[in-house]
Amino acid sequence: MKKKKCRQKLITHEPPRITYFVGGNMAANTSKDVNTNIPDYEYTDVNTKLFHIGSFRSEWLKRLKPSSYSFQAEDEEAFEANFAKELGVDPEIMTKVKSVCSLESLRCHPEDQQPDPEVVPPDSTLKTLVQRKKRQDHRASLKISKNRHDLYADELDRMTVGRKAESVADMVPEGEVILTINVYYPAVFDKFNYIRPHVTLVMTGSHSLAELRDAICCVSDLQVCGEFSNTPDIAPDFISKDHFKSAFFYFEGVFYNDMRFPECQDISMTIIEWAKARNFPPYSQAKMEDTRFIDLKIKVGFPYLYCHQGDCEHLVIFTDIRLVHKNDCMDKKLYPLLIHKHRVTTQKCAVCHVYIGRWITKNDQFAPSNPCLFCDKCFRMLHYDAKGNKLGDFLAYPYVDRGAFN
Amino acid sequence: MEFCRKQVKSDCEELLSRFQRTESVRFEIFSKIWREMKFSHIFYGTMTHEKRHFSRLVLDTACVFFLPPFNFQIRVGGLYLLYSLYRSQTASPLQQIRLALKDWEDVQKFEKDAVDAQHLDAVYILRQLMCIKAFHFTAMPSLLTFNKKRKVERSALCEKFVERTSRPQELINIELLEELSNVHKLYENLKNSVFATAEQAHPDPSLNLIQKDFVPEIRGTVVDFYKWQQMTDCAGDGEAEDAGEGMSSQQECSGRAERLASIKSKAYGQAAEAPKSRRHRQVEIDFSNNAGQSHMSGSVRMSRPSLKARTSDSVDISGDTWKDATTPTLISRLTTLNSASDEKPKQYKRFKW
Repeated sequence: MKKKKCRQKLITHEPPRITYFVGGNMAANTSKDVNTNIPDYEYTDVNTKLFHIGSFRSEWLKRLKPSSYSFQAEDEEAFEANFAKELGVDPEIMTKVKSVCSLESLRCHPEDQQPDPEVVPPDSTLKTLVQRKKRQDHRASLKISKNRHDLYADELDRMTVGRKAESVADMVPEGEVILTINVYYPAVFDKFNYIRPHVTLVMTGSHSLAELRDAICCVSDLQVCGEFSNTPDIAPDFISKDHFKSAFFYFEGVFYNDMRFPECQDISMTIIEWAKARNFPPYSQAKMEDTRFIDLKIKVGFPYLYCHQGDCEHLVIFTDIRLVHKNDCMDKKLYPLLIHKHRVTTQKCAVCHVYIGRWITKNDQFAPSNPCLFCDKCFRMLHYDAKGNKLGDFLAYPYVDRGAFN
Repeated sequence: MEFCRKQVKSDCEELLSRFQRTESVRFEIFSKIWREMKFSHIFYGTMTHEKRHFSRLVLDTACVFFLPPFNFQIRVGGLYLLYSLYRSQTASPLQQIRLALKDWEDVQKFEKDAVDAQHLDAVYILRQLMCIKAFHFTAMPSLLTFNKKRKVERSALCEKFVERTSRPQELINIELLEELSNVHKLYENLKNSVFATAEQAHPDPSLNLIQKDFVPEIRGTVVDFYKWQQMTDCAGDGEAEDAGEGMSSQQECSGRAERLASIKSKAYGQAAEAPKSRRHRQVEIDFSNNAGQSHMSGSVRMSRPSLKARTSDSVDISGDTWKDATTPTLISRLTTLNSASDEKPKQYKRFKW
């Protein structure tokens, strides 16, 4: 905590020198080679080359018929008539083509014997099913019906998948860009493991970076600094989020600072000056709230940075960019949409073993260990009398669990 | 969901190789094979929350076959596969087929080829997919998470499916030949006109820098190449079925092509052998390297105590509480009055893939 505060204080209080990122470069590139905005791999299956999201969108719209990306379902009969006319097919052949390509021809079982789609077919030759059967048998032997995490995931799905807007004004417009963004938890693990905990957010191209910032939940925003054993009731009034509002995103050589509030500072300046002193290529700055995704130039799959609270650093990866589809969540108000969240284990109270720890005490004569973790209720019952007077001698610090957002 | 990617891929390849053997691009034939293999069942038995992920995986895997470098027949098969998978998936809402911007040209070209060849079923299915909005128009064919692999797995593209190279034929077409011969004629004329002033009957032979029959020569070479390609194809087929038939088909071919083919096959034979021997050597070298490294690392590497060990070091626990803490601190344990139960903690079996 202390380190964090220091670092924010170190930052110079000069008026921030902001050079806006102008798309001069961009225009020159597009005029030279039209294909720079057709994304392609820089490294296969790792990340793409740099491209401009807005131009990428217009490249798609240029190629597609408006009906291909519209939300309206096309009329089946009109489609067939169109098809027959365009290819010069007479009705007789048309009906034949239609029957050949119908879903009936794909049915793998007699019409009256619909098998249960929840059961893995026992004697299949498909390798996928042989494996799935093996896995299912194993799960059955474990006698666990359902994983708690699966339940959470299902719940999250129900909240977001295929939601329709209540009014037309709240609809996501046709041809809008949908971005899928992974925001990784800060890397604080002592041990390497293959799991990269992250949240996945879905946003539209017209969102600004500030809206992405507001959608990112991080426990370091909730930290409370200080010792509160004498006044436990006022502790929640000192959340870091309200004190230290500065933050920045770093994409492709540009720091996008959050400057919405008067107390925001330009915390990227220290880095820029440090880099300048060491002959790094120059970095520029822009305002987070003035930048929409559609104006950005990025690489899909490439790790970028989100930094807040001075030194809480998250990797940010744009995993996907595409045009909106009619099955997507249509309600603009529900965006930014959370579609995946990694759940971390929580530290429980040392007394009740039920609730998540809220207080951490030191030099505590009542506690079995030093330091020791308590939930709010147990903490108050053990350390204060009925009138709220402090009993005994101890130091108490508010504790925010890593899994507080689970 | 990653665990079943290989299986899904090999299932798709099996289906498509059966389709390839029929040498047809009809949907009827495809759906017959689909029914024989009971391919719809591939979606059965997935758990609710896995359904969408599995559909995603299957469609991504199948989509590869719809795009180059595969030959036209496999691409048609890939299209049918996409259509069939899309229509029979159990996920809700349906997962879409991801189509990348860079692949759009290929799809357009494919559609044009199918229309030109009057493959009505293929065109119908492609347009139908478009009509029912089965596509996501994306930047990239799959989601990218900067997933750098330490060991790059060579994804063995099914070589049978890949189209034969036809670049020489494409490059040297009739128009190009005409153009070339025109230029050639102009060039000859120019040379002649230069020497006409010098009153010489024939141009200086030192200026004959280019073969006189340059254009027919090029054409002949390309035709030879094409013939050789055809021949290796049928020779390959012959060998696969019956050696005697291969011989007879070879006899039919022209002498020059035969000689060419034998040279080529020798060349390929060597090429196939060389990496094998290299691989073998590499393995040996790797082996010794590894042994050395492991030896070294064994002595040098410092093992840091685990997080658990460090925590128990830094947390000091007073008095008797330590004794209780060593036994499992489950709520059930705390609530039982006599903690003499010698129940072992439950051991979960791990699943081996």
